[in-house]
Amino acid sequence: MAEVRFENVTKRFDDTVAVSNLNLEIPDKEFLVLVGPSGCGKSTVLRLLSGLEELTEGNIYIGGRLVNNVPPRDRDIAMVFQSYALYPHMSIYDNMAFGLGLRKVPKPEIDRRVKGAARILGIEDLLKRKPGQLSGGQRQRVALGRAIVREPAAFLLDEPLSNLDAKLRVQTRAELSKLHERLGTTFIYVTHDQIEAMTMATRIAVLDKGVLQQVGTPRELYERPNNIFVAGFIGSPAMNFFQAIVIQDPDALYLDSGSFRLPVPSLKAAMLIPYLGEEVTFGIRPEDIYSSEYLPTGIATPAVVQAKVDVIELMGNELFVYLVSGRYQFLARVDRRTNARPGQDIELVFNLANMHAFDSRTGKALSA
Amino acid sequence: MPRLLTKLLESNRQRAGRPSPRSLVAWLWLLPALAFIAVFLIYPVVDTFRISFMNADSTAYIGIGNYVHVFTSRATQDALLNNVLWLSFFTLLAVGLGVVLAVLTGRVRYESLAKAAIFIPMAISFVAAGVIWKFVYAYSPEGFSQIGLINATGTSMGLPPVAWLVQQQIAYTGQVLPTPLHTNNFALILVGVWMWTGFAMVILSASLKGIPVEIIEAARVDGASEWQVFWRILLPMLSPTIAVVATTLIIQALKNFDIVWVMTAGNFNTDVVATLMYKQMFNFRHFGQAGALAVILLLAMIPVMLINVRRFRA
Amino acid sequence: MSEAVEQPSPDSPGFRRALKKLASRLPLHTVIVIVVLLWMTPAFGLLISSFRPPSEIASTGWWTAFQTPFKFTLDNYRTVLAQNRMGQSFLNSLIISVPSTVIPILVAGFAAFAFAWMKFPGRDFLFIFVVALLVVPIQMTLIPVLRLLADVRLVGTFPGIWLAHTAYGLPFAIFLLRNFFAALPRELLESAYLDGASNLRIFFRLIFPLSVPAIASLTIFQFLWVWNDLLVALVYLQDPSKSPMTVTINNLVSSFGTQWQLLTAAAFISMMLPLALFFALQRYFVEGITAGAIKG
Repeated sequence: MAEVRFENVTKRFDDTVAVSNLNLEIPDKEFLVLVGPSGCGKSTVLRLLSGLEELTEGNIYIGGRLVNNVPPRDRDIAMVFQSYALYPHMSIYDNMAFGLGLRKVPKPEIDRRVKGAARILGIEDLLKRKPGQLSGGQRQRVALGRAIVREPAAFLLDEPLSNLDAKLRVQTRAELSKLHERLGTTFIYVTHDQIEAMTMATRIAVLDKGVLQQVGTPRELYERPNNIFVAGFIGSPAMNFFQAIVIQDPDALYLDSGSFRLPVPSLKAAMLIPYLGEEVTFGIRPEDIYSSEYLPTGIATPAVVQAKVDVIELMGNELFVYLVSGRYQFLARVDRRTNARPGQDIELVFNLANMHAFDSRTGKALSA
Repeated sequence: MPRLLTKLLESNRQRAGRPSPRSLVAWLWLLPALAFIAVFLIYPVVDTFRISFMNADSTAYIGIGNYVHVFTSRATQDALLNNVLWLSFFTLLAVGLGVVLAVLTGRVRYESLAKAAIFIPMAISFVAAGVIWKFVYAYSPEGFSQIGLINATGTSMGLPPVAWLVQQQIAYTGQVLPTPLHTNNFALILVGVWMWTGFAMVILSASLKGIPVEIIEAARVDGASEWQVFWRILLPMLSPTIAVVATTLIIQALKNFDIVWVMTAGNFNTDVVATLMYKQMFNFRHFGQAGALAVILLLAMIPVMLINVRRFRA
Repeated sequence: MSEAVEQPSPDSPGFRRALKKLASRLPLHTVIVIVVLLWMTPAFGLLISSFRPPSEIASTGWWTAFQTPFKFTLDNYRTVLAQNRMGQSFLNSLIISVPSTVIPILVAGFAAFAFAWMKFPGRDFLFIFVVALLVVPIQMTLIPVLRLLADVRLVGTFPGIWLAHTAYGLPFAIFLLRNFFAALPRELLESAYLDGASNLRIFFRLIFPLSVPAIASLTIFQFLWVWNDLLVALVYLQDPSKSPMTVTINNLVSSFGTQWQLLTAAAFISMMLPLALFFALQRYFVEGITAGAIKG
C-alpha cells in the first residue's frame, strides 16, 4: 500500500510559515500534481514528504506508516530533482546503481533493474558515459532512471521539466504520463506550470502561500474552481475578472460592471440573489468570449458586450484580442478570421453558461 | 618623452570599438613584469645551473663534481630523505585534517569562528611559530619541573620527559628507526601541519560549498549514510581541489627552510635540502655545491610543475 | 491502523525535539571544540609566558601562572620595546614590506591586463610559463641575485630587497589578477573603448576599481608574506641596522637561547601586525587563496 497522507502538517522557517495546516490524502497509483506560484510551499511539501526537511507540526504517513522521524533513506521513496543532481564522477550505470548498491541488492538484480529502466527510457547506449557528456534531456532521463530502479512506494518529482527547452518539455510530458501508467506507482509531482498540471495529473492540488486552495481532478478545477485564486491560476490564458453589482431590472437579474450589463442566466440566478445590490467578482474565461462576427451555433446564453481592441496576437489557429471596456481590460480568444484591428470597436459575445461568480470579500466561489 | 610613452600606450584611440589590436602595445604593458622576472627569476635559474658545475668560488668549471659529491655525501642523502618525509607526511596530514575539518566546520553555526582559529597560524611568521613551538617542546632533564606543554603532560602521566627536537628514537620506547624516521623530524613536521592545515581547510571548505546541495540530498534519498556520503560523493567530487592543495603543499614541503632553520638549524639530523644549501652558501661558502643542491630542488619540483600546468591547460 | 501503538508520540513538543537534535550533534561539536582548543593552545601558551618574569618562565610551565600567587609582569614587553633593536626592527619591517607590496601589485596589474585583454602571439604560452615559475624555489635564485645585487651595490639596501620581493611575488600576483580581470564582463570594456577611452584610462578608472577584492587579497597576501619572510632578508639585507623583525627574533633565538622571556614578548609583538591585519581583512585573505587554487 503506497498511499500518502498529510495530517495537519505545518512547516515554519524561523518566522515564516511555509506550509500551513496541510491535510491531503493521496491514494495509491495517483499522479498528483502540486501546483502554485513560486513561494507557495509546494517544494517544501515535497521535501517534507521525502524527509529532507523536518516538519514543525503534524504527521505524515506513507503506506500507513508514520514517518515523521524516519530518515529519507528509509521512507521507500525516490526523488527526481529539478537540477537532476546526478553524481558527476560516476558513470550513468553507476549513478543508477548507486542506491541499490547501498542497500546490498545482489549484483545480477542491480544489473537487471538498471538495464530494464534504461530500456524503458531509451538510454541504453549512454550507460558508460558520465553526466557531463550528456544533454539536458538525457540527464533528465537518467535522473528518472535512478528513481525507477529503486522501485519505491512513491516517486517524488520536483519541477523536472523546467530546465528543458519548450519542445522537449511537451514531448517529455507525454512520456511521463505513459511512464506513470506503465509503472503503476504513485507520482507526486511539483510544478509552477499549470499546463503540466492539467495535462498529466489525475488530481491537482493548488497551493498559495502555504495554504491548500483546492484539490480535484483537472476538469473539476477548470470547471468548478473554489476561489478566485484557483480560477485565475488554472487555465491559460487566465480567466478574466470583473467587479459587478447584482441588480434587478425589473424581474430579471443583471450584473452591472459599470461599462456593460450582462443578463444572469437562470441557472446562475439562485446563487446571486443573496448578493442583490452588492458587488461580486464575475469571471469568464477568454475561450468563452466570442466575436459576434464568427459566432458558433449552440451558445446557450449569449450576452453581447461592446469593447475597443487594444492589441491583437495571431496565434495561428486562433486570435488573441486584448480588449478595453471602460476601466476593464480583458482577453478574448476568437476565430482567427475575425476582423479586429487595434483601436477598432468590436462586438463580443459572452457565453454566460460558463460564467463564474465569487464573493468579492472572501474570494470564494458562489455555487448554485 | 612622457608624451611619446602615453601616445604609445593609448594607441588604440584610432581603433575605438575593438580591444587593443597591436601586439606592440601589449608588450609594453608586459615589459616591467617581464623585466623583473627575467632578472630575478629566469637569469638566476640559468646562472645557478651554471654555477653548479663550477668550483667553490665559481672561478673554474669542474664538471659534475659537485653533483657527485652531493649525492654521495651522507648529509645530502639524509637531507633528501628528510624532504621525502616532509612531502609525504606533511602533505598527508595537512590535507587529511583539512578535508575532515572542512566537512565538520561546514555543519556548525560558528563555522567562521572555528575556521578562523585554525587558520590564524598562517598569518604569523615561521620564526614566531618556531618560538611558540619551542615552548611546547621544551625539555628539562628528568627530575626538574617541565615547562614544555608536552613533557609536562607526559610527566604528569608518569612518562619520562623527552627532548623532542633532539631525540631521534621513538619516544618512550627508545626504539631506533632507520633514517629519516626520527621523531624529531616529526616534531618539526607537526609545526608545519599546524601552520598549513588552515590553508588546506579553507580551500577545501570553499570547494565543498560549491558542491550542489541537491547531489548530497539525492545521495541521502538514495540511501547513503553520512559516512557513505562523505566517502562516495564528497571526496570524489573534491579530488580536483585536493590535488591542487596537495601540489601546493608538496611545493611548500620541498622549499621548506624557515621552520627547520629556526627550531634546530638543521642539527640533529633534521636538515633538509634548503637548509643544507644555506649552510653551503654561508657557512662553507661553497657556491658550487650550494648551486648543485638548488638545482636538485628545482628538479624535484618539475614533476609538480608539470601537474599544475597540465591541470591549467585542461 | 495508522496510529500504530508502538510509534513514538507524533506530536513531540518542540523542546524535546531540539534537545534530541543537540544530543546527536554533541560529538560533532566536541570534536570541533577540541581541535580548535588544541590549535590555539601553543600560541596561547606563548601569550601567557610573555607576561611572566624570567624566573617563572624558566622553572614552571605557563599553565601554572593561573594559580596564586599571580606573578604577571609587563617587564618583558618593556625591555623588548625599549631596546632600540626592536623598535628599529619594526620600522624596518614596515619599510621593507610596504613598497614590496605596492610595486608588485602595480607591475603585475599591468601584465595581467595585457594577458587578460590583449591579443598577441604566444600569449597563452607566456602566461603558463609565468605561472609555472611559481614552483621555482627561492634557493635557486639566491646566489646569482646576491651577486647581481653586489655588482650594482644594492646588497644591504632597501631598494635591493624591494626589487627582489617584487620579482618573487610576480608569478602569483599575475596569476591571480589575470584570472580576475578575465572574468570581468567584456561588454564593460568594450563600451568604454567605444566611448573612446584609452587602455591606460580603462586600466586605472575601470579595471582597478572593479578589482578591489582581488587587489585586497593580493595586498594582504603579499604584505604578510614579505612581513613574515626570513630567508630573503637574511640573504640580501645583511646590514643589522636594517634587519626586519623576523631576522632580529631569529638572532634572539640563536643567541639568547635561554633568555626566553624576551623572546616571547618579541615574538608576540612581531605577530601583532599580521594578526591585526588578518582579523580585519580575513575575508579577502581567504578569498585570495581560494581564488588562486580553485580557479585553476
